[in-house]
Amino acid sequence: MQYLKLITLFLKANILIELEYRANFVAHALVSLGWVSVTIVGTTVFFTQTDTIGGWTFYETLVISGMFTLIGGFIQMFLQPNVQKVIEMVRLGTLDFVLIKPVNSQFMASLRYAQLFSGVDVIAGGFIMVYAMGHLGLTPDAVTLLLFAVMVLMSMVIVYSIWMVMATFSFWFVKVGNMTELFNSVYDTGRFPVSTFQGVLRVMLTLVIPIAFITTFPAQAILGRLDAVTFVASVVMGFGMFVFSAWFWRFAIRQYSSASS
Amino acid sequence: MAYQIEVSHLSKHYQVHDKEPGLAGSLRSFFARKYRVVKAVDDVSFTIGQGEMVGFLGPNGAGKTTTLKVLSGLLYPTAGNATVLGFTPHQRETAYLKQFTLVMGQKQQLMWDLPALETFLVNQAIYEIPRAQFDATLKELDDLLDLGPIMKKQVRKLSLGERMKCELAAALLHRPKVLFLDEPTIGLDVTMQVRIRDFIAAFNKRYGATVILTSHYMADVTALCDRIIVIDKGHLFYDGNFRALIERVAPYKIIKLQLERPTTSEVLSQFGKVEFSDGLTAVLHVPRASATESAARLLAQLKVEDVTFEDPPVEDIIREVFAVNAASNPTAQE
Repeated sequence: MQYLKLITLFLKANILIELEYRANFVAHALVSLGWVSVTIVGTTVFFTQTDTIGGWTFYETLVISGMFTLIGGFIQMFLQPNVQKVIEMVRLGTLDFVLIKPVNSQFMASLRYAQLFSGVDVIAGGFIMVYAMGHLGLTPDAVTLLLFAVMVLMSMVIVYSIWMVMATFSFWFVKVGNMTELFNSVYDTGRFPVSTFQGVLRVMLTLVIPIAFITTFPAQAILGRLDAVTFVASVVMGFGMFVFSAWFWRFAIRQYSSASS
Repeated sequence: MAYQIEVSHLSKHYQVHDKEPGLAGSLRSFFARKYRVVKAVDDVSFTIGQGEMVGFLGPNGAGKTTTLKVLSGLLYPTAGNATVLGFTPHQRETAYLKQFTLVMGQKQQLMWDLPALETFLVNQAIYEIPRAQFDATLKELDDLLDLGPIMKKQVRKLSLGERMKCELAAALLHRPKVLFLDEPTIGLDVTMQVRIRDFIAAFNKRYGATVILTSHYMADVTALCDRIIVIDKGHLFYDGNFRALIERVAPYKIIKLQLERPTTSEVLSQFGKVEFSDGLTAVLHVPRASATESAARLLAQLKVEDVTFEDPPVEDIIREVFAVNAASNPTAQE
C-alpha cells in the first residue's frame, strides 16, 4: 500500500518535471520517430538481399524489431534515468538520504525517476508489432496473449536486473558509464533474431547477456511459436536475475557501509 | 532507559588508496594501489540524554560526520558499540529509521526540478505519516520557518537559505525524536544562520527532540548547545560544558580597533594584551570578565574610528584545547 502510494507520487513528480520541459517533449518525439524509421529501414535493407534471416521472414523479424523498440523505450523510460541517478548519488554521497529512509532502498533507487517521453518508443514498438502481425495475417488468441504478456514481463525483469547490477557496480567503480554503453551496443543485436548469430556468440547472447530472452523469445510468444522449454527458461531466468540483482544490491550496500567514510 | 544515545569505545577505520602525483604515479596506482588505514573515529565514548543539544566541534576530517553516519546506521562500526533509542543503528530497523533524521548542509534530498512540497508529500508516504498529523506538522513548521511563499516554488529557483529551510522541513515532517544536523548553516548569511539556529532551538523545545549538531560557526554552537564534544583525528578531546571550556582556555574577548591617529603598542597595552598593532589598526585580547569596562575606558581615552568585539574563533579554542591536552592527558572529561 505504502509502495503503491509512492509509485503514484513518483509518477506524478515525473509528469510535473516533464511538463516543465515542454520543448524537450517535441524534440524527443522526433528523435524517437527517427530511430523507429532507422530500425525499420535497416531491417528492410537486410531483406532486399535475402528472404529469411536465421529462419525468420521479413514480417516476423519486424515483430522482433517492434519488441526491440518497445524494450528500448522501457530502458530509456525507467532504467536509464534511475541508474544515472544512482551513479550520481553514489558520487555525491546523497545516496545516504535513500539509505536512511524506512523503505526498501532498491525500490527507492530504481523506481524514483522516469523519463516519460520515452513512452513514445514503447507505443511505437507496439505499433510495429501490430502492423507486422497484420501483414502475417495472425490474430493471437487469449492464451497466446497471456503467454506473450508473461514473456514481456520477464523480458523487462531481465533488463531491469541487468541495469541494476550495472548501477550497483558504481559503488566500487564510481564511473560506470562505459558499462551502460557496452550494454547498449550488445542490446543492438536484439533487433535481429538470436538464430541469426552462430556458435559462441549465440550462446553468449542467450546465457551471458541474455538478449535472446529480451527480444527474440517474447516475439516467438506472440507469433505462437513458443515452446515450453523456452517459456520455463524465461521465467527461471527472470526470477533468477531479479533475485541476484537484489542480493548484489544488498551486498554492495553492506560494503558501502563498511568501506566508505 | 537513562540515555537516548550511548556510544562506547566506538571506532571506525577504513582503507583509502593514495594516488601519487603525476602520470607515472597514476599509472602505478592503477596497477598496484597502496592502501592506508584511516582511523576516522578511534575509541570514542559518550552518552546523551533525552532533549539534550550537543555540539560536535572539530576541524575538517576530525571524525564528526563519520560519527553521525555511524549513529544514522549508514556505516558499520569497526569496533565498539552505538545505541540510539535502544536500537543498533546499522541494523536499520524500520522502527528506528522512522524516529531519527539526518540533515547534511552540503547535500540535499529535495527534488531539484520540483517545488519542495512534492518532496514533502513523498516523505509523507515514506514515513507513513497520517494526513492529519502531516498537515499539523507542516503548519507548525510553516509557522517556525515561514515556508508558505517558498515551498511551492521549484527548488532550483530558491536561494541557499530558502532551500535549507525546506531541507529542514523535509527532514522533520515525521517528527523525529533524534536529530543529527551536520553543518546545517554552512554557506548561509548571518541573518539566515540566526533564523535556522532559532528554529532548531524552537523545535528542540517544542518536541523535546535530542539534537547533535556539528558546525564550523562558533555562534551556532554557543547559541544552541550547553554541552560540546570536541573531536580531532578521531579522538575525543573534550566533553563537557561549553562555557566552562571557554573560561578555561580562552578567557578573553577580542577587540579589533581602527584608530584615527597612530598609537603605540605601549599605550594600547594598558587596555589589554596587544596581539597586533601597526599604528592605525590593532587587535587586543582583554579578559572576558572586564571586557566591557576595558572597552569603555578605551573609547573614552582614544580616538577610535571603528571597533568590533569578537569571541575567540572556535578554531583557536580547539587549538588551545589540544595544546592543553597534549601537555596533560589525552582525554579530558568534565
